[in-house]
Amino acid sequence: MNRWKKKASPASQPNKRPNLAGEGFGGRLGYFFSRALTNVRQNIFVNVVTVGTITLALLIVSLFLLVFVNLENAAENWSERVQVTAYFDHELAAQEKAALRGRIIALPGVARIGYVSRDEALKRFTARLRGQETLLEGVRSDILPTSFEISLKRSNRDTQGVEAFVASLKRIPGITEVQYGEEWVRRFNTFLNFMRLVGALLGVFLVIAVVFIVSNTIKLTIYSRRDELEVMALVGATRFFIKAPFLIEGVMQGAGGAIIAVGLLWGLFEGFLHNAGSFLTFNPATSGLAFLPLEYCGGIGVAGILLGLIGSLTSLKRFITI
Amino acid sequence: MIQLHNVSLAYQKDATALNGITLRIEKGEFVFLTGPSGAGKTTLLRLLYGALTPTRGEVLIDGHNVSRMAAAQIPILRRSIGVVFQDFKLLPSRTVFENVSITLEVLGWGRADIGKKVMHVLKQMGMEGKINLTPQRLSGGEQQRVALARALVNEPKILVADEPTGNLDDANKNQILNIFKEANVRGTTVVVATHDRRLIDNCHKRLVSLNKGEIVEQVEKEGVSGESA
Repeated sequence: MNRWKKKASPASQPNKRPNLAGEGFGGRLGYFFSRALTNVRQNIFVNVVTVGTITLALLIVSLFLLVFVNLENAAENWSERVQVTAYFDHELAAQEKAALRGRIIALPGVARIGYVSRDEALKRFTARLRGQETLLEGVRSDILPTSFEISLKRSNRDTQGVEAFVASLKRIPGITEVQYGEEWVRRFNTFLNFMRLVGALLGVFLVIAVVFIVSNTIKLTIYSRRDELEVMALVGATRFFIKAPFLIEGVMQGAGGAIIAVGLLWGLFEGFLHNAGSFLTFNPATSGLAFLPLEYCGGIGVAGILLGLIGSLTSLKRFITI
Repeated sequence: MIQLHNVSLAYQKDATALNGITLRIEKGEFVFLTGPSGAGKTTLLRLLYGALTPTRGEVLIDGHNVSRMAAAQIPILRRSIGVVFQDFKLLPSRTVFENVSITLEVLGWGRADIGKKVMHVLKQMGMEGKINLTPQRLSGGEQQRVALARALVNEPKILVADEPTGNLDDANKNQILNIFKEANVRGTTVVVATHDRRLIDNCHKRLVSLNKGEIVEQVEKEGVSGESA
């Protein structure tokens, strides 16, 4: 067409071939970001609804995580009580004690080891019978056994781990008897596994519900702006050009929701929860809940961003029809 | 410029929207498509800008076969076609200026050039004093002029309008019609679907009448010659 080649006068018409703002994603990144920010400003209500939903959803998940992490910590504390005691019928000489200690430490799974002499054993016995000391009259320390008290590493505290350790411990000559509270270890590990299973199931259901709610909210908010998608397509925007600002908007909503959720969780934690530890540990000495570790907070941030991004992506796919 | 060869389109098995349409529109022509509701006017227009693909036949725009065009090519086609609707399709959250500048942003124009060009077109439409208003604060006629500015700002080769005056009073109808005529004088091929007889009678342009998805009558330019299909 000739009219495309005609030279227009600058006064009546601007240049036919204008300066382009940049080609490709990199060149247009600035445009997409400013468009996304303008969209947030111009659709403030829709954005508040989306960020609010993401915040609430992530807050629920974060609260669950906080409880779960603290239960795990409490379980960790309780599992310290998994202890194996190796008894000897005589007081160990220094050399023999060192040799046995060396052999026990060489076994896999030992975290700490402590020797309990006959005098120490009597002292503990006396402490336990406080108020009824008369029962101990005439009791001398040499009727009590000496022992090594062995704490196991976390990885060896389950039933099989303890049993395997005890079996190898029994092979060491000189040890008269080994005790480790089999029933307690078994019950404790059953409880721990049950707690983890329930936690994992609850977590999975919670995440499914959250993804469902957030993705539907994003779908509705994008549906409310379907005219925009249609107009963009009509004036010749590529799918990518239409999507990019919406995706950036989704990422911003997700990141914003995650930051607010972690902030609110911190506020709740500081305000109420950190005093509630004794309910979980049953031990006032170690009371006080811990806040989520940094990597969990980072994980919530990434989850928020992914929620916003994937929610927007799937909704856009559905509504860019023209 | 626009060629349709034996084009048929069925939305469902028994619902044929267009049936065996053959039509040729030359570069720089001004054509009215008319016919009762459900005649197939909107469907035919949607075929032109690639929003629909014919079930049978071929649609050629400027020598390119739209019916066989890859999805990635459709946006490129649309950049040379301006589209206007009865309901304007302006974005309520954006200002008049922003509604028009979308077309140039898509093309990747720089901000300064967009500013100059958009102002130039809005001035032509008599809308230069309302650039910062949102569409809700404009009358129907003004909204349609903004929609026209958006369609014409990149000087498309083809302007397609679907009942553009359906929501307007007589004064506004004339104003919009004049804008179409001016665009046509500048070389844009104009295709307007309407069942507004007065608009057609006032204009004396080529008229293509559709009914039940078929061309039933064609009246040539200036009402000089006519033929029945």
